[in-house]
Amino acid sequence: MSVDAFGLTDTGKVRENNEDHFVIATLRKAVDLGQTSLENGLLAGRVRESAAHLFVVADGVGGHSGGELASGAAVQCLLEYVAQASGCFHDLGVDQENEFLERLEAGIHRAHERIHKELGAAGEAPSTTLTLAALIGQRTYLVHVGDSRAYYLNRGRLRQLTRDQTMGEYLLDAGAWTEETAARARTAGNLISTVGGTEMTPSIGLVDLVPGDVLLLCTDGLTKHVADPQIAEVLGKDRSASETARELMDLALAGGGSDNITVIVAKLGE
Amino acid sequence: MIQKKICMVGVFGTGKTCLVQQFVHSRFSVKYHSTVGVKIDRKVVPVDEGEVTLLLWDLAGRDGHGDITVSYLRGAHGVLYVVDGTRRETFDQVFELRDIVEKAVGPLPSAVALNKSDLTEEWKLGKADDKALAERSWHQFTTSAKTGAGVEAAFAWIAREAVRQGSAPS
Repeated sequence: MSVDAFGLTDTGKVRENNEDHFVIATLRKAVDLGQTSLENGLLAGRVRESAAHLFVVADGVGGHSGGELASGAAVQCLLEYVAQASGCFHDLGVDQENEFLERLEAGIHRAHERIHKELGAAGEAPSTTLTLAALIGQRTYLVHVGDSRAYYLNRGRLRQLTRDQTMGEYLLDAGAWTEETAARARTAGNLISTVGGTEMTPSIGLVDLVPGDVLLLCTDGLTKHVADPQIAEVLGKDRSASETARELMDLALAGGGSDNITVIVAKLGE
Repeated sequence: MIQKKICMVGVFGTGKTCLVQQFVHSRFSVKYHSTVGVKIDRKVVPVDEGEVTLLLWDLAGRDGHGDITVSYLRGAHGVLYVVDGTRRETFDQVFELRDIVEKAVGPLPSAVALNKSDLTEEWKLGKADDKALAERSWHQFTTSAKTGAGVEAAFAWIAREAVRQGSAPS
């Protein structure tokens, strides 16, 4: 499948710093052809087929630029780890699939440890949300911590792939709060799991996508101002990933831009 | 350590995710969240041979938008089918779901969890249904993801069978 991906980040209209970070990367075996008697096109094609597309968004928590450092350190550390472990991206069989997921999760744990080491002990250090999607063939692997989100649009239907790891969601699940209580409570949005924080519980999942589907990763700066039906409408338009990302960003800014905003849009073609 | 992939299969809203959450995290969610794609959890469980890591693939349930995605079943070592004992139709469909699974990946160690046993007033299954499962040599467990009743037993059984089948001479 071809992938048209584009990311944008913006400080928004209220905050002074942008504590969000994102990465769009393509990982493939480094075959740098010099000369060969083989048919070059075939060889190059095989290499391209085994590419993995990696998308990451992170929203730092901590203030005084600490959050920015945390989200940056987490994304950088994860990317370095994944690049080192890139051998397992290729020819992903059943046995390798579990190993691959473990490596993604291990990458997040490494980022968690690095934040502690470089920015302070748990509970004192800034921390970050982190949502990662790795697209290999038609399968998208997801690792998620915090309240940044991954969505996908399939035949006009928007589905949220991640669940917010917030106090509100936790207490709603436990039956301790009603939707009404959660809507009123100031602590509903408090994160109960962050990279670098006191608690970190990565959530792991996957979904198979088909050509025509659209993947969206975003920080809560988007979802605070743009409701799911609006997101679905924008993702469903026949536009490039960059135009789609720009429209989502404009909507979030027009809605108030009360937080940093980051979006990654990936449109899957044939 | 040995790892075994166990898939949770059933109609939407039967409690697949809640069973996994109860088994892995000892918690129960009163709020319903429809699973999208697959959610994966891990738990190490003791078996006769030592320990096994269960990779629990919680598949989105069959709903009005489509059937289960058989590509998620690839490489599975066992299946736990989940029925909502308060919704008769989820029991009726489990036989068809097993056919779909076996057509995709062949016969695997499998059991049925008759879930939501805490809702005794609303229970819709009876002895004839137990017999229907037994006639198909289908191991069954009555479970409640809310109270935890039967949950450990169901996963322990599927873990043992997955290990036993995996080590059996071919």
